Amino acid sequence: MEFVSPEGLRLDGRRPMEMRQIRGEIGAVAKADGSAFFEMGNTKVIAAVYGPREVENRSQQISDQALVRCEYTMANFSTGDRMRKPKGDRRSTEISLVIRQTMEACILTHLMPRSQIDIFVQVLQADGGTRSACINAATLALADAGIPMRDLVTSCSAGYLNSTPLLDLNYVEDSAGGPDVTVGILPKLDKVTLLQMDAKLPMDIFENVMQLAIEGCKAIANYIREVLLENTKQLEYRRGP
Amino acid sequence: MAGKSAATPSTYSPSPAPKTKRPIFQDVDWVRPDGRGFHQCRPAFLKTGAVNAASGSAYAEFGNTKVIVSVFGPRESKKAMAYSGTGRLNCNVSYTTFAMPIRGQGSDHKGYSSMLHKALEGAIIVESFPKTTVDVFALVLESGGSDLPVVISCASLALADAGIMMYDLVASVSVSCLGKNLVIDPILEEESYQDGSLLITCMPSRNEVTQLTVNGEWSTPRVHEAMQICLEACSKLAKIIRSCLKETASAPKD
Amino acid sequence: MVGLSVGEKHFIQGGIAQDLRTDGRRRLTYRPFNVETGVIPQANGSARVRLGGTDVIASVKAELGKPSPSQPDKGKVNIYVDCSPTAAPMFEGRGGEELSTELSGALQHCLLGGKSGAGAGIDLSSLVVVEGKVCWDLYIDGLVVSSDGNLLDALGAAIKAALTNTGIPKVEVAVGASGDGLPEVDISDDEYLQFDTSGVPVIVTLTKVGRHYIVDATLEEESQMSSAVSVSVSGQGRICGLIKRGGAGLDPSVILDMISVAKHVSEQLMNKLDSEISAAEAFEEES
Repeated sequence: MEFVSPEGLRLDGRRPMEMRQIRGEIGAVAKADGSAFFEMGNTKVIAAVYGPREVENRSQQISDQALVRCEYTMANFSTGDRMRKPKGDRRSTEISLVIRQTMEACILTHLMPRSQIDIFVQVLQADGGTRSACINAATLALADAGIPMRDLVTSCSAGYLNSTPLLDLNYVEDSAGGPDVTVGILPKLDKVTLLQMDAKLPMDIFENVMQLAIEGCKAIANYIREVLLENTKQLEYRRGP
Repeated sequence: MAGKSAATPSTYSPSPAPKTKRPIFQDVDWVRPDGRGFHQCRPAFLKTGAVNAASGSAYAEFGNTKVIVSVFGPRESKKAMAYSGTGRLNCNVSYTTFAMPIRGQGSDHKGYSSMLHKALEGAIIVESFPKTTVDVFALVLESGGSDLPVVISCASLALADAGIMMYDLVASVSVSCLGKNLVIDPILEEESYQDGSLLITCMPSRNEVTQLTVNGEWSTPRVHEAMQICLEACSKLAKIIRSCLKETASAPKD
Repeated sequence: MVGLSVGEKHFIQGGIAQDLRTDGRRRLTYRPFNVETGVIPQANGSARVRLGGTDVIASVKAELGKPSPSQPDKGKVNIYVDCSPTAAPMFEGRGGEELSTELSGALQHCLLGGKSGAGAGIDLSSLVVVEGKVCWDLYIDGLVVSSDGNLLDALGAAIKAALTNTGIPKVEVAVGASGDGLPEVDISDDEYLQFDTSGVPVIVTLTKVGRHYIVDATLEEESQMSSAVSVSVSGQGRICGLIKRGGAGLDPSVILDMISVAKHVSEQLMNKLDSEISAAEAFEEES
């Protein structure tokens, strides 16, 4: 199948190095300590953060740092075919773990010993790149909750189809079976915290693809920073002089 | 074998189920399949002490509907549960595999357990057994219509038999709306054609409704009328339950 | 759940007794609400309803299926509700299942009418393609994204909005289809049939706190309730379903009074909801 037309356009009309439209919004869940809505093209997710608070299950308490927990759920209507599957299937558990590890790496857990932080991400619509979207939403929600972090974590994926590196794969491109590199970075520290790939790629091409994904992450980081700045301005305005 | 079955045809008689399509329920006057009046309940038979191992139990038979309810406890709550200053009530309604005309259809009644819980929790004085749980297990032996009301009434008798403190006995009755008529205590056949149903659970001596569900389309005067019919029937039913309890208490102990 | 001090409890109860609730509303006023339709493009219809801090999404998906043998002239409708853990940490894992089942059951009870199909908000016979062979199965999925009380009313409104937004593809039955096998059907891509949703009822929940009852209770107010009655009322003012929650018993006359109040409130709610839905639909077409 042809994923890049001779004119250099992808199936949804994007150029290979073009990201889908992204949109972030703070404060989607009223009762949560921090929450955010994040959209990458047709992929839409909501993240809510509860905590830091007392550890629910005493046996899980860690005496010198905070306990970070994460749960990833997909709505029944999030995919094209309606499915009703039990909660906690293998894929959800794996993504929960990936998100938890990524977020744990950037939260300053040692500042909040004996407490618990819950991150819940809910996928409303899945169109490829859900784990990236979830990580971006979780970052916004954590920042909204005022949880101390080393840096913002942002994530983006890139793939390699028709001998072209493609940024931010959508569902059709993702299910083509080509390599899909998901990268999460701490943009200011310039460090990679998440790197996943599930295919074979020559070393030099891999470097290119990963570099492309990192560029995507940086663009998202800039956007997220803008959203946060705008939110802070709003808060300041509401507080009055 | 073939000859034997011919000689005794009564042992196996697959009576072809009456395949009458929708009966003449729309008409103003029709006769109920069991010949009752519209506002006449089925004869009720109640008996306590059906299960020896339980702290209290009761058997109820309303027409073809036959249920057994056993009550266990108050006994220690599960260790995993947090401390609670009031008692807990745990209800479960199950069907035997042969309860319905088609085998194993009883699983359609998942909601009944929570309905039974809601109907009973308002009547039980949960403060009287802190830290403990009372289990109410209902088993529908045969489903003949109006299962839930029979289960609820029978459960209150079983609770009384177990000596659980209650504000009052709970009686429950349902009405079906069939065309223009309101039919009390419907049987299975009537229930399958009903346009709507109304179920009331009440404590007659306190004149309090603990549970009420309405289903299907009703006008307010109809609801009013149906509630009146049900409440009257409930108070009659409560008298029957009470007399059954008295009988048990006055019976000579062996 | 909600941890309230004695003072806070008294404040809520006192406010309700004096017809001035903690957020400044009167006893029978709803919180401002907002309807957005077409939020899930993959579904046949969808809507998001925000009622104060409560945020729910409903989606309708239609699939071709086989009608049940007992009712060959009717389609099937299934309602499922999921509580997302984003709404409250207690819904994590299987924690939300109990509430989900209760809400699904209550919605089915309130919207789908009696066994014979009378009083159903959705005309089931309109879902049949070929009698006894092919019909539409509607899967209505609700998702609670954020919870601040009164979930049932919000879900009911979201389902009504989602149904209004729903387009069922037009189906052509191939002529000369053989009698026995499944008839061949041709699903049109661009022609859609709209539902008539004027008959879909709205659900009004009256929560009894102390001696008074209130509509649209918040989570804090719900924690103080003694009992609650949810009434679903159709546009013609007929009652399509009623469910009582909460342990405390109620006097029959109080229930009748609550029903008439619910009917009165439902008229305003229905008007408000209808105008919100049409505004949302118009907005969706514009953008």
